[in-house]
Amino acid sequence: MNRIGPMLTRRALLVAMAARGLVPGTGLVAGGRGAAAAIGPIRKRPIPASGERIPVIGMGSWITFNVGDNVSLRNQRVKVLQAFFDRGGGLIDSSPMYGSSEEVIGYCLKRIANADALFSATKVWTLSRLLGERQMNDSFKLWGVNRFHLMQVHNLVDWEAHLETLKEWKSQGRVRYIGITTSHGSRHEEFARVMATQPIDFVQFTYNVVDREAERRLLPLAAERGLAVIVNRPFRRGALFDRFERHPLPAWAGEFDCANWAQFFLKFIISHPAVTCAIPATSRVDHMLENMGAAYGPLPDGDMRTRMIRHVESL
Amino acid sequence: MSRMLAFTPEVFLSLFEQYNTAIWPLQIVAYALGVLAVFLTLRPGRVAGRLVAAVLAGFWLWIGVVYHFVFFATINFAAPVFGVVFIVQGLLLAWTGVVRGRLDFRFRGDPAGWIGLGFALFAMAIYPLLGLLAGHVWPRAPMFGVTPVPTTIFTIGLLLLTAHRVPLSLMAIPVLWSLVGGTASWLLNIPEDIALPIAGVAGLGLAIWRNHGTPRGKTG
Repeated sequence: MNRIGPMLTRRALLVAMAARGLVPGTGLVAGGRGAAAAIGPIRKRPIPASGERIPVIGMGSWITFNVGDNVSLRNQRVKVLQAFFDRGGGLIDSSPMYGSSEEVIGYCLKRIANADALFSATKVWTLSRLLGERQMNDSFKLWGVNRFHLMQVHNLVDWEAHLETLKEWKSQGRVRYIGITTSHGSRHEEFARVMATQPIDFVQFTYNVVDREAERRLLPLAAERGLAVIVNRPFRRGALFDRFERHPLPAWAGEFDCANWAQFFLKFIISHPAVTCAIPATSRVDHMLENMGAAYGPLPDGDMRTRMIRHVESL
Repeated sequence: MSRMLAFTPEVFLSLFEQYNTAIWPLQIVAYALGVLAVFLTLRPGRVAGRLVAAVLAGFWLWIGVVYHFVFFATINFAAPVFGVVFIVQGLLLAWTGVVRGRLDFRFRGDPAGWIGLGFALFAMAIYPLLGLLAGHVWPRAPMFGVTPVPTTIFTIGLLLLTAHRVPLSLMAIPVLWSLVGGTASWLLNIPEDIALPIAGVAGLGLAIWRNHGTPRGKTG
C-alpha cells in the first residue's frame, strides 16, 4: 500500500511528523522501542471523593529515583521527570522506603519549569504515630512542598495510628487525600477491611495483565466504596518485559493505538473502569515517552481485554 | 534480579565512589592494619591478641557507623539495622579480645589455619583483583577494611587463626552477614562477592570441626 497518498489520514500524518519532532506541543509522542504515538488531550479520570481529574498514567519511583547523591544520575532523572510533565503527567508516587527517591524527586522538581500539574503522593512507613508524624514532616522537606495531594499508609504499617494523624492533617489542609497501599498479594484481607470501614480516598495495590487477583475483590470494592485506585507494579517490576518483549506485539494492538508492549500492559490496566491511575517507574526518557503514550488514544473494551489476557497466556 | 533491591548496581557502585573519595586515604591505613594483623598471627607476642582484636573491632565499628549509617543508609532503608549489627560485632570483638584479652591469634598448620590464612589474604589481595576483572575500578569498588564484604571474609579468616577453640559467639554475625550480604551481592551481580557466602559456610564448618577436637575451656 502506498503510505503517501489518499489513504493518508490526519493522524498518520501527525504521527509521522511527530516522529521527526515537527509538531511540538500537540500531545504527539514519538519514542524508542517502537514509536509511541498519541494524539489529543491526555486521558484523565476523576477522583471519586472530589471529582478532581488526574492523568491515568503517573510515575512510580521505586529503584529508579534512588540514585543517592550522584549529581550525574540526578540530572538524568531531571530529564525523565521533564519528559513526564511535558507529556501531560501529574501524579508522582514515592515512599520513605525508597532510599533517596523523595530527596531526588525534590531535587528534580526544583529544576523543572512546568511542574504545575504535580500531584504529589508519598507514604508513611514506620511504627507509631510520633515517628510517623516525624517521617511525614521530613517528606515535606525532601519534596520541597507545603502540602501533599495524597499521603498513604505504606503496606498498612501501623495504619490505625497513622490514619488518625492523616484524618487530622486532612482537616487542616496539610494533605488533600489520604489512602492505604499494599503490594503484590500481601495482606489483602486486612486491606479490604480497611477499605470497607475507614474514611479514606485512595487505595494502591498491584494489578496487571498477569496478576489479576485484584479483579475479584479489591477493584469491585473500590468502585463500590468510591475510592480512587492507583495501580503499582504495572510491569511486575519489569518481569513482563523479560517474559513477553521478545514476542512481536500482536497486530490487533493497533486497534487501540498501542505501539509497544509498555502501552499494551498499561492500557490493559487503565481500561479497567475502577482504575484511576497506573504508576510505572522508569529511569529512561524513551521509556517514559512510551509509558505516557498509553494515556492517549482509545482503550481496549471488554472483549479486547479478554483477548489481551488470552494472548499473553498463550505466549 | 536487582529489582528486588531498592537500588541498581550502578547506584551501588556510585555509592562506593562517593564513600571512597570521602574517606581517602583511610583505605591505606586499613590495608596497613590488615597486614599488621596477619603478621601478628604468624609472629604472635604478648599483646598480639589484643592488637589483632582491636584491628578487627575497629574495622567493624567503622563500617557500622560510617559506611552503614552515614552512606549506605542514603539508598537502603535497612542500612541502619545493618549498622547496628556491625557495631554489636565490633563491641563483641573489643570486649572479648581487647578488654578481657580472651583471644589468642596464632597460626596453626592445620586445615583450619591454612584456610583461615587463605581467607585473610584473599580478602586483601585476590578480592580486589577479581573486582578489577569484573570492571570494578577504583574508586567504584568495595575496599578492604572499610566495606563489609572483604572485611567479613578477613574476619572469618582470622577467627579461624585463633589458637584454641574458635569463638563461635564471634563467628555468628560474620557468618550471618555472609549469607545476607552474599544474597544481595548475587542480586546486584557483583561476581567477586560470591566468595562471601563460601567463606561464611566454610568458616562455620571449619570452626565446628576445629572445636570438636579441641578441649572445652580454651577459646580463642
